[in-house]
Amino acid sequence: MKKIFQSSGFRELLRVFIAVAVALALGFIVTMLVSEDPVGAYKSFLFGPVSKLNRFGDWIEESITLIFLGLAVVVVFKAELFSLGQEGQMVLGALVAGSIALFVPLPAYFLIPLAILGAMLAGFLWGLIPGYLKAYLNANEIVSTLMLNFIALKIYEWLLTNSIKPEDAGYTASDTFPVEGTMSSFIPPLPFLSEIRTLFMNQTNISIALYLMVIATIVVYYLMYHTPFGYELRMVGANIKFARYGGVNTKRTILLAMAVSGIFAGLAGAHVASGVHRKLILNITFGLGFEGIVVAILARNNPLLIPITGLAYGYLRAGANVMERTSDVSREMVLVIQGIIILLVTAERLMPMIQERIKVRRTQRNDIPPADTGVTPTEGGD
Amino acid sequence: MTPLIDMRDIVKVYPNGVVANEGVDLSVEKGEIHALVGENGAGKTTLMKILYGLEQPTGGEIIFREQALEVRSPHDAIDQGIGMVHQNFMLIPSFTVAENIALGEEPTKRGLIRKRKAVQEVEELSAQYGLRVDANAVVDSINVGMRQRVEILKTLYRGAEILILDEPTAVLTPQETEELFNAIRSLVNQGKTVIFITHKLREVLEISDRVTVMRAGKVVGTLPTSEVTREGLASMMVGREVLLTVDKPHKERGEPVLIVNDLSYVSGDTGRQVIKHISFNVYAGEILGVAGVEGNGQTELVEVLTGLRQATTGTAHIDSKDILNTGPRNVRMAGVAHIPEDRLTNGLALLGTIEENLIVDRYFRAPFKKGISIDRKAVTELSDKLIKEYDIRTINGQVQVMSLSGGNMQKVIVAREFSSDPKLLIAAQPTRGIDVGATEFVRQQLVLKRTEGTAVLLVSADLSEVMSLSDRIIVMYEGEITGVFPDAASLTEEEIGLYMLGIKHQEVEDMEVVL
Repeated sequence: MKKIFQSSGFRELLRVFIAVAVALALGFIVTMLVSEDPVGAYKSFLFGPVSKLNRFGDWIEESITLIFLGLAVVVVFKAELFSLGQEGQMVLGALVAGSIALFVPLPAYFLIPLAILGAMLAGFLWGLIPGYLKAYLNANEIVSTLMLNFIALKIYEWLLTNSIKPEDAGYTASDTFPVEGTMSSFIPPLPFLSEIRTLFMNQTNISIALYLMVIATIVVYYLMYHTPFGYELRMVGANIKFARYGGVNTKRTILLAMAVSGIFAGLAGAHVASGVHRKLILNITFGLGFEGIVVAILARNNPLLIPITGLAYGYLRAGANVMERTSDVSREMVLVIQGIIILLVTAERLMPMIQERIKVRRTQRNDIPPADTGVTPTEGGD
Repeated sequence: MTPLIDMRDIVKVYPNGVVANEGVDLSVEKGEIHALVGENGAGKTTLMKILYGLEQPTGGEIIFREQALEVRSPHDAIDQGIGMVHQNFMLIPSFTVAENIALGEEPTKRGLIRKRKAVQEVEELSAQYGLRVDANAVVDSINVGMRQRVEILKTLYRGAEILILDEPTAVLTPQETEELFNAIRSLVNQGKTVIFITHKLREVLEISDRVTVMRAGKVVGTLPTSEVTREGLASMMVGREVLLTVDKPHKERGEPVLIVNDLSYVSGDTGRQVIKHISFNVYAGEILGVAGVEGNGQTELVEVLTGLRQATTGTAHIDSKDILNTGPRNVRMAGVAHIPEDRLTNGLALLGTIEENLIVDRYFRAPFKKGISIDRKAVTELSDKLIKEYDIRTINGQVQVMSLSGGNMQKVIVAREFSSDPKLLIAAQPTRGIDVGATEFVRQQLVLKRTEGTAVLLVSADLSEVMSLSDRIIVMYEGEITGVFPDAASLTEEEIGLYMLGIKHQEVEDMEVVL
C-alpha cells in the first residue's frame, strides 16, 4: 500500500488533483465576482454535463473529437515536431467522409467504412505535405501547417458553397446524409437493448465512433511503443542526431510521423461529419482543431492517458457551455475560468516548485535547532 | 594554520534518493592548488556545486575564513570571492571576449556601457595572470583553450580569490594543458587558491600541492601530492588495484579490411578543404591510431567514414564495396561500428532508456523485429546480457540513460558497438571525460577486439593513449597524413609531436609502402 502512495504515478495523480481543486476554487472566486447566483451558476458548470442525457451526449461527442485530435498530436509531439495541422486535416477528413456519404450510392456496410477510410486517407495525405517540406526542404512545420490549415479550410468552404450545398438552400450546408452514410448508434440494435437505444438515439449522437476511438488509442499506443516505426519516431524526438548516427532514416521518419498523425485528425473529421452533425456545415470543426494540443499536453504525451484527459477536457468545455446557457455568467467569463483551470493543470513546474520550497524551508528549520537548544555540535574542528 | 575553506560533514541527497555526498569533509588552505579526484559519480562536482551555491546541501556546514557560510546561490559565492569554471563553457558565442568577461558587471557611465574601458580592464587582467586572450575577438571564432582562459578571467573579473576548475583539461591539447598549468601556477603565486577537479592522475601529480580522493560520495583521504603515486591514487579512486598500462599480446595483422583511397572532404558550411586526398588501409587484427592536434581533420575523417558526412572525392572499400556516401545504416550493415567522439550529441539519446539506446543499430532485424513489432522480450534479454557483460551500473535496462554517470554512459555505447560484432571498429576519443576504471575497461576491450581479429581505427587527442594502444600510427596535420609509423612501440612522444605540429613531414613515396 505504502508503495502505491510513493509511486510517481500516484504523485502525478495527486498533483493533477490538487491543481484541479485549486483551479476550481479560483474559478469559483471569479464566478462570485460576476454572478448574482454564483452557487447556482457554478453548480451548472460542475454538474451540467451529467444533468441531462442530451448534455451528456454533447460531452461524449465532443470528447471523442478531442481524443482523436489528441492522439494526432501525440504522434507528432513524440517526434518533437510541432505540427499544428490537425484543424486542416480534420476539415478535409470531414469533407471526404461527407462527400462519400452524400454522393456514393452504397449500402451502409460499405459506405461507412469507405467514408472512414477516405477521411483517414485525406488526413494522411494532408500531413504528407508539411512532412515532406520539413524533412527534405527543412521548412518550419509550425508555419507550413498553419498555412495548410488555411488552405484546407478555404477549399472546404469553396466546395461546400459551390458544389455540395443544394442550389436552393438558403444557408451554407449540405443535405443531411442518408442513413447509410451516418455512423450508427454506439448501442447495437439488439432486441433487449432497443428501448435504451431509442432513448440515446433521440437525445444524443453518440455513435460507433466511440469504439473507433478506443481502437485508435490502442493502435497509437502499440504503434509508438511496440513497432520499429514508433521506435524510430521516438528516437528522432529524443535526439535526432543519435537516430541518424544509429542508422535511422530520419527524413522518412519525419515525413511519416506528420502523415500518420493526419490519419487521426482525419478520423476526428469523419466523426464530426458522419457521427455528430450528419451533414457538412460551415465551421464544422467548432474551433476544436487546436484543442488536441491541450489534450496531449495534459496527458503528458502518453497515448493511453489521452481518453482520460480528452474526457476531462471535454467535460470542462461541456460544463462551460451549460453554465453559459443556463446562468448569468457571460461566455467570456466562462472562457476565463476554463483558461485558469487549464493553466494550472498544465503548469508542469508548479508542484515540483512548491515541493522544493517546502523542502528548503524544512532543511532551514532543521539547521536552526542548535541555537534553540543552546547546544552547538562541535566536530573536531581546530 | 586554519584552513581557508572547511567543508564539514556535507551530505547531499537528491530528491530521487541518490546520495551524492555522504558526510564529506574537505579543507582547503589559502594559496594551495588542491586536486579533487575521483571516478565519475563519486560526488566531486556535487561537492563543488554546493560550495558554489548551485546545490543546497542536505546537511553539514561550510566554514569560510573561520565563519559559518551559507551559500544560497552562485551570487553569494561570487560575493565571497568563490568562482567556478564549469566543464561546459557558458559563454555567449556572438559576443566578444571582453563583452563576455564583463557581462553583468560592465563598467558604465551614465547608464551606457564603456566598451573601451572593459577591453582595457580585460587586457590588464590577462597580462597580470598570463592568461593570453584577444579581448576583441568574437568568442565564436576562438579555440577551446582560449575559451577556457576567458572563463577563468570571467571569474577573476568578478573578484574571485578561490577558483574551482571542473575538469579543465578534458577538452585541451597537451600544449594547451601546459599553458593552463602555467597560468594556474601564476594565479597561486599571486595569492589565489585553486581547487582542481580532475581524474587524470598525471595532472594531479604535476600541478597539485595536496589531493583529496573521493569514492562513492565519501572522502577516501587527503594527502600531500608528494606522498602519492599514480598507482596508489588509482587504487584509492577505484577501490581496487588498477592496471594503468594495457597488456597487449602480439598479433600478426591480417588482410586489409578498410581501404581508403584519395579521400577528400570540403566543409559545406565554410568551404574549407578539411581532408586533402588521403589514402590508407586498416588491417584485420590491428589498431591503427590516428594522432594529431584536434581540428586537423580527424573528426571529419571519422564522420565521413561512418556516413554522417558526405565525402567530396575518393572511395572507402570494405569487402570490395564502397561505403562512402551511403548513409549510416549502410555503413553499419557493411560491418562498421562507431564509438562517436561526442557521446552526448551523437552516441546516445539521453531521454531514452538503456534498452532503447542499445538497439538503435539492430531494432529492425531479427531477433528484435518480429512480424510488425519489436519483441520487447528479446530487447530486454539483450540489454540484461550487455549490462552484465559490460558492467553497466544500473538497476535495470529501463532506466533513462540521462541518470547514468559519464563512464556508464560510455559503457552503453561500447556495449552496443562492440556487440554488433563489427569487421571495422572506429573509436573516436573513446576514453575522453570518463574515469580511471571505465578508461581501463574501454582500453582492454579495444585491445581484446583487435586481438580477436577486428580492424580498429582509433582517433584520440590523448597522445599517450594512441601510443600505448596502437600497432601502427598515422599523424594528421591540416587534413593530410604527414607521417606513418609502422611500429608504434618504438616511438617517442616528442618525435610524433614534431609531425603533429607540421614541423616534420615524411615523403609521400616513403609513406605509401606502409600505409
